[in-house]
This record gives sequence, structure tokens and C-alpha cells, in this order.
Amino acid sequence: MRVLVRPAQYFALALYILFLGFPVLWLVSASVKSSGELNSLTVSLLPSEWHWDNYSEALDKQGLIRSAANSLIVALASTALSVLIAVPAAYVLARLKGKVRAAGVGWILVSQVFPVVLIILPLFLILRTLGLADNLAGLTLVHTTYMLPFALWMLQGYVAAIPVELEEAGAVDGASRLTVLRTIVFPLLAPGVVATAMFSFVSSWNEFFFALVLLQSPENYTLPITLTMFVGGEGKVALGPLAAGAVLAAIPSIVFFGILRKKLTGGLMAGAVKG
Amino acid sequence: MKTRRTLVAGALTAVGLLLTACGGGGSGDGGDGPVSLTFQSLSDQPAAIAATQKIVGDWNKAHPDVQVKIVPAGWDGVYDKLITQFNAGSAPDIVHYEAAGIAPFATDGFLADLTPYLSAEKRADIPKGVLDSVTVDGKVIAQPTELQSYVVFANKTQLQQAGVTIPTGASMTWDQLREIAKAATKDGKFGLGWGLSSPTAAFVALAPGFGGKYFEGTGNDAKLTAGPGEQALPQLVDAMAHQDKSILPVTLTQSGTKALAPFYAGQIAMTVQGSYQAANIAKDAPKGFDWVVLPPLAGSAGPAQAANPQTLSVNKDSAHVKEAAEFVDFFTGTENLAAINEADALIPPTTSARQALATKLAGKNGWDAILASGEHLTSAPYLFAGKYAQWKDTVATPAYQQFLAQKIDAAGLAKQLEDGWKNVSK
Repeated sequence: MRVLVRPAQYFALALYILFLGFPVLWLVSASVKSSGELNSLTVSLLPSEWHWDNYSEALDKQGLIRSAANSLIVALASTALSVLIAVPAAYVLARLKGKVRAAGVGWILVSQVFPVVLIILPLFLILRTLGLADNLAGLTLVHTTYMLPFALWMLQGYVAAIPVELEEAGAVDGASRLTVLRTIVFPLLAPGVVATAMFSFVSSWNEFFFALVLLQSPENYTLPITLTMFVGGEGKVALGPLAAGAVLAAIPSIVFFGILRKKLTGGLMAGAVKG
Repeated sequence: MKTRRTLVAGALTAVGLLLTACGGGGSGDGGDGPVSLTFQSLSDQPAAIAATQKIVGDWNKAHPDVQVKIVPAGWDGVYDKLITQFNAGSAPDIVHYEAAGIAPFATDGFLADLTPYLSAEKRADIPKGVLDSVTVDGKVIAQPTELQSYVVFANKTQLQQAGVTIPTGASMTWDQLREIAKAATKDGKFGLGWGLSSPTAAFVALAPGFGGKYFEGTGNDAKLTAGPGEQALPQLVDAMAHQDKSILPVTLTQSGTKALAPFYAGQIAMTVQGSYQAANIAKDAPKGFDWVVLPPLAGSAGPAQAANPQTLSVNKDSAHVKEAAEFVDFFTGTENLAAINEADALIPPTTSARQALATKLAGKNGWDAILASGEHLTSAPYLFAGKYAQWKDTVATPAYQQFLAQKIDAAGLAKQLEDGWKNVSK
């Protein structure tokens, strides 16, 4: 009986991976099917005939690569900005006591209440006055502002989970405030920073509405805007090229996650040792 | 989505009124160089994009002092984008959209009156019903560019095997369609498939064939009636689906495009679709699939259908309204309309362009029947009913879905439609 436990565990794991990966497999499969096969009653995971034209059509469509580059610039810049601002702010928020902290936390929550459609027009006018309306820098600022409350909320939870006694022990041992932060707090906070960076990157990478309204010039369009070009009037959808575009659009996210995943586990280990 | 649209419209209009003072004009040029116009185009098919680029290229070559720049945009979210642009005073000079979407912008005073730029010849070339669909408060606020109608695509072989004589002529009645569907329903196959997951657009567009108008009046004062003319088509579909059992049931809950798969597979002999699907059928149908477009469908009041054309409008705040209007007039010339509609597999809104296309395509892929259906497109009162979009999504579509699922009867449907309109238009 015991011999069967390990294979059963692997089988369950394989099923779970298949369950999670199936939509991706289906997307990749759809991206290499012909329009006729996609609109057929015969359902198959593998295409009867590999149709690579979808990729060339997707790449030709309205400058997909340029849009991907724009998305990458905005996502990386807004992630870096969010994390840089959120880390010290979250530390202060988590360690501070009293009314200022309550007001800060309250403001974070309130800022999440407003629907984006309410703020988009004033935002548009402010950015236009600053000359940033149809501009990737302007969009980066907006994404940063939009993501910051949630990033703060996430990170202050991670800071709060670090026992303050560790910092006090460091201080007792004669470490300065900065040394305590550098050698004790930051290593323990690293997994939280990585998780926040991942969240920020994905939020910015997928963001549609602000980019739709703020960006006017096609050369500044981000990927979600360009992907909507595959959906036409009257419900027309170029399914094959859209799937191909979606596959290509997912690659930078996967790479980013691949890089940060190691940091996430590395940070966890570092925290354990230092603690 | 449409509820969100309403929220967007309300919120942005309110904020916009306070802030438009900060806004500037549509076009940004003010120097000594050529006039520069922006044209936000929603063309999405590769052939239509190419046709649009050619038209703009031709204009730019012929008018070195007025240069037009295409700004491509997608249909998804374009309402949100436009309402922000108009309220912020940064809308493009020339706007591509559909009549149903652009009418509220005209009511809010964002669009230029194109009446002075519409020649008598062009006016005579646009059928009255189509011209009505772009006329708000007596002003022409857009020029129509492309139209679609609902037509019946049929598997010729399947109908012949069922012993059906395929109708020809100027039109066919809905009763004929019902009889053919019944005859072709055998051996596990169905006569008809109709993707009616969102049925309101089709029912409202086809109601004029039964004398149905749905709306009287404009804006928030529009009144809705769900009488016999409006109810005739839903009841016919209900009878075909549940009495005759000649409609493949699953298609009633699918999109129009999804209903093409059983058509290709021979599960259904006919399907009601937007005319533009002719291009997709020509591309996607299996080899040897022998299909035909049946004559335009006629109800008790004839083969009329409501027109909701794609349009080109001019931003009233553009610094160059006259030049933009001239470009719109150029874009909607006979040759250009024929080219763009051929590329999109849609119906030109002018008689001359329709004739040019008919001559060029000579019956290829059902174009004759499609173009013939375009002759019966008439005015669409729903375009000018203020909260139509909200009513469509929050009231009509759920009510029709319940009716087709036999959860409510015809009286219940009429009550939901009328009471729902009163609620949303309060």
C-alpha cells in the first residue's frame, strides 16, 4: 500500500499541472490552427495542419513588436517606481503607531474605492497640461499611482510579519538603524518585495483602460491596445491571429516570472538564515 | 459593459462640463505648413485597412495642403475613448464609428453639422432610410460608409437533398423560411441555426419587416411599444424552435459566429447571419461546400430592415471642419465606398456604389442577394432612443433569452420590455 502512495502523489500532481496548463496548451494550439479549423465542430488539441500564418499576421498587425516594447518599458519602469516608493513607505506604515498610521491605512483603502472612469478625465487634462498625455512616461506615472496603494498594502503586511524583536535584538547588539534595516529587515522582506514586483509588473503589463484613453498615437500603443485590434465590429474576431498575439504577449511575463521566481525562493532562504 | 458605458457617460460628461475650459481644439497645427487632420479609423480587416490607407494616400497626393493622418483604433473600448476625447477637447478631426454609437455625441453637441457639405447629388444617392440614421435634429452629423443586413445562408446540397426548391426572386417570406426549415429538419439534422445569445440587435433590426418600430420619439422622451409588429419575429422564432423543432436548440444560446460551425458540419441547412459573414464562409467552409445566400426576408410589411451604418463624422471643435468635411465627402465617393465595402464584405450605403460593386462582383459568393438586401434598409428609430444601449443589455437581452427558453410568455416579454424601458429612461 505504501509503495503506491508516491506514484499516486505524482499522478495527482501531473493531473493538477495538466489542469493548470490546459488553457495555455489550448491557446498555443489555437494559435497554429487555420480559421476553418477554429470554426469547425471537430475539436482537437493538435491542429490537423500547422498554420504559422497566424503568427506572421499577428506580428504584422499594427506593430505588435513595437507595442510589446512599449508595454515592457512601461511595466518595468512602473514596477521599479512602485517598489522603490512602496518599500520605505510600507515600513513606516507598518512600524508606525497611532493616528497617522490609521489615516495612512484609511487613505490606501479609500483610494481603491473610486472607479477609474471618475478620475480618467481630470487625469487626462492634468497629464495634457504637463505634456504627458500621449506619452509612455505619463502612462508610467499613472500606472505607478494606480498600483501604489495595493503595493503598499501588500508590503506593509510583509513588514508587519517581521518580528520587531529581531530589530531590537540587532540594536541591542550595537547595530545602527541602517545596519538593522540592511542586514535584518531587507533580507526578510525580499520575498514580499519580489511578490509585489510581480504583481505590479502583471498589473501594468495587462492594464487596458488608462492606456486606451491616454495614448492617442499608434506608435505609443501598448500591447493590450494593439491586441484589441483583432476584435472588429459586429463581433468579428480574428481568432487565430489573436491567439498568436496572446502567446507572444505572454512571453515577457513568463520570462519576468522565471527570473523573479529564483529571487523569491532565494529571498525566503536568506531570511531564514539571517533570522 | 453597457451599464459601465452609462456610468462612463454620466461621470465624464459631468466632470467634462467643469473642465472643458482647459481643453483646446481638435487639430493641433497652427503654423504655416499644410493643414494636418487626424482620422481615427476602426478598420480591422487587413483588406479594409489597406483600402483605407489607399483612399487616404490618394487624398494626400491630391491635396498637398490638407494632409490626413490615420490613427488606428480598436472597436473594443472606443466609446470610452471617444467620450473622454470629446470631453477633454482632444478628439480626432474625423471620427469613424457606427450610427448607434455616434448619435449621442451629436445630441451632446460634439459633432459638426455636415449638411452644408453634402451635395444634392450625394444626398440623392443615399437612400432616405440610411440618411435618416445619420440625421439628428434635422442635421446630417455623419456620412454613412458601410452597412450590414441580416441574410439567410443556405447549404444548397442539403436543401436539394431535402426536396426543397431553393427560393429565388426579389424576396422570400419568413413563412417560406419556416416551411423550408421544417422540410429540411430530418435524420437528426435541423433546418435552421440562428446564433441568438444576444438577440436584441437582430430582433430590433428585423422588426420593420413586420411593421415594428419599437421606439417613437428621441432621447429620454422616446416611448417604447412592444406590440404585434415588434413581437412577430420573436414569436416566429419561438414557434420554429419549440413547435416545429426546426432550429438547432444549442444555436439559440450561441453567438452568430459560433452557429457557423454546425452549418459547415451539415448539422443545419440554413443559418441567419450578418451579411458580412459571406467573407468568412467563403474562407472557412470545407472544400466543396455548396452554399448560397437566399433572397432578402420579407415579413408582413415587406423586406425592410433597420439601418445602423458605420459612419464618418467631423469633430465640431476641429480647427478645420471644412477640410475634414471635404475629406469625408471624398472618402464616401462611389469608387472608394465600393472598395472599402468589398474589402469588409459589407453593403455600400449609396446606390451608385452598390451598383458599382454589383457590376464588379457579378454574383460572386452571394453578393447579388446581399446587395439586394441592402436596398431595403430603412430608418432605425432605436438609434435615437437615449438609453437604448442600456435597455438592450440590461432589459431586452435577458427578457428575450427568457422568452426563447420558454420561461416567460409573449405577454410577459412585452411587459418586461416596456416596463424595463420606463425604468431605464426615467
